[in-house]
Amino acid sequence: MKIKDAEIITLMQDPRTRERGVRALMDAYQSRLYWHIRRIIVDGDLAQDTLQETFIKAYQNFHQFKNDSQLYTWLYRIATNESLQQINKLKRMQKTDEDPEYYMQNLVADNTHSDAEEIQIFLQKAIQSLPEKQKLVFMMRYYDDLPYEEISKIVDMSVGTLKTNYHYAKQKIEEYIKENYEK
Amino acid sequence: MKDFDLKKLERKNIYKLPENMFESMQERVLSEVNDFDLEKLDRKNIYKVSDHLFENVQQNVMKEINADKKAPIFKLNWGYAAAASLALIFGSTFLYNSYSDSNGNQTSTQSLASNDTAPKKESEIAYETLKSDLTSVENNDQTNDDQQTNQQIKTVAYVPEKKETKPQTVKPVSKKTEAQMTEYLDSFSNSEIAELANNSTQDVYLDLYN
Repeated sequence: MKIKDAEIITLMQDPRTRERGVRALMDAYQSRLYWHIRRIIVDGDLAQDTLQETFIKAYQNFHQFKNDSQLYTWLYRIATNESLQQINKLKRMQKTDEDPEYYMQNLVADNTHSDAEEIQIFLQKAIQSLPEKQKLVFMMRYYDDLPYEEISKIVDMSVGTLKTNYHYAKQKIEEYIKENYEK
Repeated sequence: MKDFDLKKLERKNIYKLPENMFESMQERVLSEVNDFDLEKLDRKNIYKVSDHLFENVQQNVMKEINADKKAPIFKLNWGYAAAASLALIFGSTFLYNSYSDSNGNQTSTQSLASNDTAPKKESEIAYETLKSDLTSVENNDQTNDDQQTNQQIKTVAYVPEKKETKPQTVKPVSKKTEAQMTEYLDSFSNSEIAELANNSTQDVYLDLYN
């Protein structure tokens, strides 16, 4: 992956090969970034738009990428920021009497496969009940298995705070499942 | 058995049950939930995904990128725009003024330059020779007369200038001519003098032109 990243960076840095570079970038990261965005946003169409916007921003602002950080860290940062912006827009647009947490949990139910396991649906609903920072840390650690050092670069938090957040997030999810799954 | 009444029959569960079935069941359910370990759960993506999702994403991204390339957006900096327009105004005014000032000089220098560089055509040379011949003939004919007339003109023209700048002093009539005049006048009778006086205006007038 590292060699591939180096190739992508070289292609992206040269204006003549930038288009080829962005194609290679999308091939390499579209799936990981999509699922990261989708778990935050849940809605399929909005997640697709956000992924597109992420790649366009990466293309337009590639001169800001510094080689001292990992390419995927930089991309995750853009994707996370774009997703949070979309979520904030959604919250502003929704009715004032509707609980945002409840809204997101309904969205989970509407967007899951018909053959999805019930425990998995509960897990997603539990994630949506978390505060924003805990949600982000949990998802990047649990699903993407990112090291705390890289997550700290993405969300601008110290490694210690991230570990605490992950611990609390996990505890809350387990409690949520225990409470709701047996009913 | 003719007297059998269902209502009177005792309601009994006759099936065999494992011992402490319900107790163990409760324990099992509770332990399953209590022992729930998130780490043991499969990490699955359970959301529905549209067909050709990534193909569409790539197409849309490339479209957007190419559109950006074709129509680059220039952000207008008002400061630079104002400075550029001022420079244009002052520059064009300066150029216009300098051009109009040096226009005459330029034409003369241009003609000089053309004389220096451009070789003359045969027709031009012939015209110039003819012109110089004619002017030389005219000059020869007019040389003497012109010189005289010019001198006269010059003096005539010069006299009034002198009059204007320096008031002409009237020369006093000499005593000799005065005595001659009295003698001459004495020789006239009174009636002749009166007749001369009547015609004096005309004489004065005539004197001016003689």
